Amino acid sequence: MSAESLRFFPPSSAQLSATSTPKIQSSQGMATDPSARATETDLIREAQQGSRTAFDALVRQYDQAVLRLALHLTGSEQDAEDIHQEAFLKAYRYLGNFRFECSFYTWIYRIVTNLCLDLLRRRKSRREDQAVMLDSSGEEIDLLTNVSDQRASANPDRELSRKFLGERIREALDKLTPRERMVFELKHYQGLKLRTIGEMLNTTEETAKNTLFRATRKLRANLAELR
Amino acid sequence: MGNTMKCELAQEMIALSVYGELPDDQGPQLERHLAACELCRRELEAVQALSKAMSLLPVEEPSANLIARSRLRLEEALDAVPHGSWLLRCWQRLAQGVWRLRSAPVAVSGVLVVGLTAGGYSGYRVGEHDAVKTAPVIHPTPGEDPMADIANVSSIVQEPNTENVEVVYNRLQPETIRGSLDDPQIRQLLLVGARNRLNSGVRDNSLGLLANECRAGHQCDDGPIRDALIGAMRYDKSVAVRLKALEGLQPYVADDVRVRDAVLEALMKDTDPRVRTQAIELLEPVEADSSVREVLHTVSLRDDNPEIRTASRQVLDQIPQVQ
Repeated sequence: MSAESLRFFPPSSAQLSATSTPKIQSSQGMATDPSARATETDLIREAQQGSRTAFDALVRQYDQAVLRLALHLTGSEQDAEDIHQEAFLKAYRYLGNFRFECSFYTWIYRIVTNLCLDLLRRRKSRREDQAVMLDSSGEEIDLLTNVSDQRASANPDRELSRKFLGERIREALDKLTPRERMVFELKHYQGLKLRTIGEMLNTTEETAKNTLFRATRKLRANLAELR
Repeated sequence: MGNTMKCELAQEMIALSVYGELPDDQGPQLERHLAACELCRRELEAVQALSKAMSLLPVEEPSANLIARSRLRLEEALDAVPHGSWLLRCWQRLAQGVWRLRSAPVAVSGVLVVGLTAGGYSGYRVGEHDAVKTAPVIHPTPGEDPMADIANVSSIVQEPNTENVEVVYNRLQPETIRGSLDDPQIRQLLLVGARNRLNSGVRDNSLGLLANECRAGHQCDDGPIRDALIGAMRYDKSVAVRLKALEGLQPYVADDVRVRDAVLEALMKDTDPRVRTQAIELLEPVEADSSVREVLHTVSLRDDNPEIRTASRQVLDQIPQVQ
């Protein structure tokens, strides 16, 4: 199977309004209605005054969204767990600095995205040394992926093709810079607005927009390379 | 067809439109351009195709297990946050107060006036009646920091119209246990110690002891200890801890494929040459395994460290040529 099989050509190209968007995964814990927001504000204030119960309630409101993001970005449960822990420990330590200038959701995501960016940067510098070998047909195989693979699977064919597609996409994503990867992740997979993404990454909406554009360009090139 | 500049702009707009971020007023402009430009229509198709293709990597919900594990770990870590954080929080609250006051100069003046008046009045009352009422809540033993074992303050309630408050706080209560390393309870505690992210000394000791137990063959066949050693070897930031974990896993390289894979991963990925060198030593008994051979071969060609390249080559040279 080649990366060509990843390409889809929708029937109509001119219908902008009907463009396909990925399944949007909003944050499970994001407080959207006014009463929930008021409760959340109370919780934050109580937590700022030292209430561990209130802090625990905040954790439970956001931790699934945090894990979902970290899991998808890192592709590793262990890394996601580490990021979850570090993010909420940081939030606990610095909650006193939160001054309601942005939503709590944006604030906690800012912590998480910073931790993820650090991890992606560390990983990128490691991957530079990663060994690539050729298999019997002369194609490149990623040894590390092979080594860490589970060796048994319930439905080998389906599992293999699903895994193959996922791996090709991950490879293409891995070639982005950590920042491009993050903007693409937050936009495409987490369905966030570019303005919010800008706020989370401490940058402007315009910069987030340009980064997204660059990321889509690179991804197309990267997927085309993976034939 | 539009000129190059216009196409470039249109292509940026296409990416935004596919992600639902194109401002409404720019939609008709883009549509007009697309109607006249074949190149940009193809660009739109390609961006839409990319968006669909990327969605083939699904966003999976974290498993119930992962959520439970993460929450448990976080709770343990929060419980272990040292009492310094209590002081830190006081400091932060003070800083927050100062920030608020700075942003409200009128309020500052008001507070000052009220404060001076109240202070003067209470000074007068104290002088007149000589009545001091205090309610000491914490009775520290002499020479001990009264706040030393306070974990956190969980609630503060003021009695209406009085100066009395009820503060509910939690104390840290350290406990000690002595016993043999074979004692299940001690082992359980060592496993907890091995997960201590805040104190690398405790983590180091716990893993070192568990690793020694495994090397000595003392009832180390159960999953959690081996998992802890594999986890430490993969993820611990301390080289000393990773080396100890590697030592502890030695007896299992031959029989446990998971252990062997983890050691191979360390050989390929670990940033420290000492860990990689030790991984080679561990793999010698299983050098005939095909994945071990492949990794050794790669390392012998590509490792940054010449000594590690030589060591891998030496191990490979010992393998009898089958073909």
